[in-house]
Amino acid sequence: MEFINIFIKSAFIENMVLAYFLGMCSYLAVSKSLKTAFGLGLAVIFVLGFTMPINWLIHEFLLSENGLFGMDLTFLKFILFIAVIASMVQLVEMVVEKFSPALYAALGIFLPLITVNCAILGGSLFMITREYNFSETIAFGLGGGFGWFLAIVAIAAIREKIQYSNVPPALRGLGMAFILTGLMGLAFMSLMGIDPALLAGGQ
Amino acid sequence: MKKALLNFFERIEPNKEKSPLLHTAYDAFFTFAFAPNTVTKGGVHIRDGMDLKRTMIHVVLAMQLCYLFGTYNIGAQHYEALGMYPGFFEGFHLKLVHGLIKILPIFIVANVVGLGIEFYYAAKRGHGVEEGFLVSGALIPLIMPPDLPLWMLALSVAFAVIIGKEAFGGTGMNIWNVALLSRVFIFFAYPTFISGDEVWVSDIVKNAELGAGYVSDTYGWAHGVFDWIFRGFGWSTFGDGGIPVVDGYTGATPLALAAKGGWEGVTEVYTVSEMWWGNIPGSIGEMSKPLIIFGAIFLILTKVADWRIMVSMVLGAAAMGMIMNGMVDPARFTEDTAGVFKFMAVPWYYQFYMGSFLFAMAFMATDPVTAASTNTGKWIYGALIGAIGLIVRVWNPAYPEGWMLAILFMNTFSALIDSMVLRGNINRRMKRATAAA
Repeated sequence: MEFINIFIKSAFIENMVLAYFLGMCSYLAVSKSLKTAFGLGLAVIFVLGFTMPINWLIHEFLLSENGLFGMDLTFLKFILFIAVIASMVQLVEMVVEKFSPALYAALGIFLPLITVNCAILGGSLFMITREYNFSETIAFGLGGGFGWFLAIVAIAAIREKIQYSNVPPALRGLGMAFILTGLMGLAFMSLMGIDPALLAGGQ
Repeated sequence: MKKALLNFFERIEPNKEKSPLLHTAYDAFFTFAFAPNTVTKGGVHIRDGMDLKRTMIHVVLAMQLCYLFGTYNIGAQHYEALGMYPGFFEGFHLKLVHGLIKILPIFIVANVVGLGIEFYYAAKRGHGVEEGFLVSGALIPLIMPPDLPLWMLALSVAFAVIIGKEAFGGTGMNIWNVALLSRVFIFFAYPTFISGDEVWVSDIVKNAELGAGYVSDTYGWAHGVFDWIFRGFGWSTFGDGGIPVVDGYTGATPLALAAKGGWEGVTEVYTVSEMWWGNIPGSIGEMSKPLIIFGAIFLILTKVADWRIMVSMVLGAAAMGMIMNGMVDPARFTEDTAGVFKFMAVPWYYQFYMGSFLFAMAFMATDPVTAASTNTGKWIYGALIGAIGLIVRVWNPAYPEGWMLAILFMNTFSALIDSMVLRGNINRRMKRATAAA
């Protein structure tokens, strides 16, 4: 039950993009067409879903005081987390290049740039400050990734729709994307404040 | 008559080159009075007088009964709080005039600000005035509380029209419903003016001298003018105000009561028939269910609004309401049971009686610009609004009502839904074509 709660919470209620405004750069840059946004969204779900449990294990069994080395090494967490994320992204990149060269070409530089997508590192750091356990971490990773995926496909669909709109020239492109993101954040505030844990707790 | 009007218009037509702003205004009023006679030539096109302007006017027409009742209800709620004139026709002139004094400034400010911006952009960008704001400008007063400060209203309308519509390229291009954007702006920027128990009944203020009691506010000059007229007829007058409210008055809406005490909490204060006919406090135009249903049927018959969205929204909300009913067991309730569980136990069909479900369904969700435009998409879109709206209403303690936010939420996804439906259709036909070949 806790698993589902955290998944829903991180995907809808505390959406990575629209509540914390994390992972903005690729979100704004790759959302011009639905197809590439869809691919990048899936890649982010995959990377978040895998790196967070791995980072959790590293943090718990290598870096913490009761870990393998018996001393507090948590100051190393940034370096190690980034290393894990980078290697995971490499893996995704190789898979995408092998199976979908068209998507690989469309994503271009933004695929390797997932490494520095702050939503990914942010997720790993949230997981530590919120003291999630292992299964909660998996739920948070998948939920956060799904929320990011949802946000980018929604904005991509809107941007495709307004492609032929008579938008003032000064706002075309990135300016419109900022306005869209802000208004989407407003719409996503509808679910903010719901506490799934209270409801799951029963009467 | 018609000839004379046409002649008059021809005579006053301003020069388009010299004064574009004036010509834009002229053009707007000219096409309002006469359907333009420029039609498509050649090819197979439908030639019909039903242009954008006529479509918009149909929506405005459908809202008129809500306006009438809303105006009366502002006054009726005011006097109900004071315990005066309980009957429908008792003090009718006072209720109606009090309502008019409240609603007219709201209507004028909303339309002057909105249309002003629209005219400015139309002249600046060199297109005709599009009548999109007629509908938004008619909707906005209906979804506001009667005591809203006018500068706030002006600010919110400016936000909605500039950021929500003109930035997207004007009427027909916006992604989010303009009227709801203006309401959501106030909702998040000045929450104390649009939620809580004290804003829904007009001119009732806290009185420090009487302890925590409420009294009616001192009336302004407009009431004085009407008092002078009424005195001439020998009718009852407004007086000076300062009348204490009846015992036990809270001004709480049915939803606020339901969130605390469930359906029992609501029926202690309001009867079902009061909720049905709309004699309850709330946003100006959202209360009377039969009049809104009348408007909805009008919109369906004229095919301005799509019945699929309305039906699927009812189905979605009903399904969600049944799920919520199934999740709780009223027999196990105790004194300490949290309000949210009592709210969940409200029978699903009574959820429609409270709040603004019907208004949102008839006038907001069916907005053809922001809704999904494929038929399958409309079913999905409506059903999700129904479900999410009820989730926000019942489960989200931060907000009293859910439909505004649910509709904005689904506006965000309507482009995605359409895209998915179209893609699914393409794939299906492709499969059929390849199978046949």
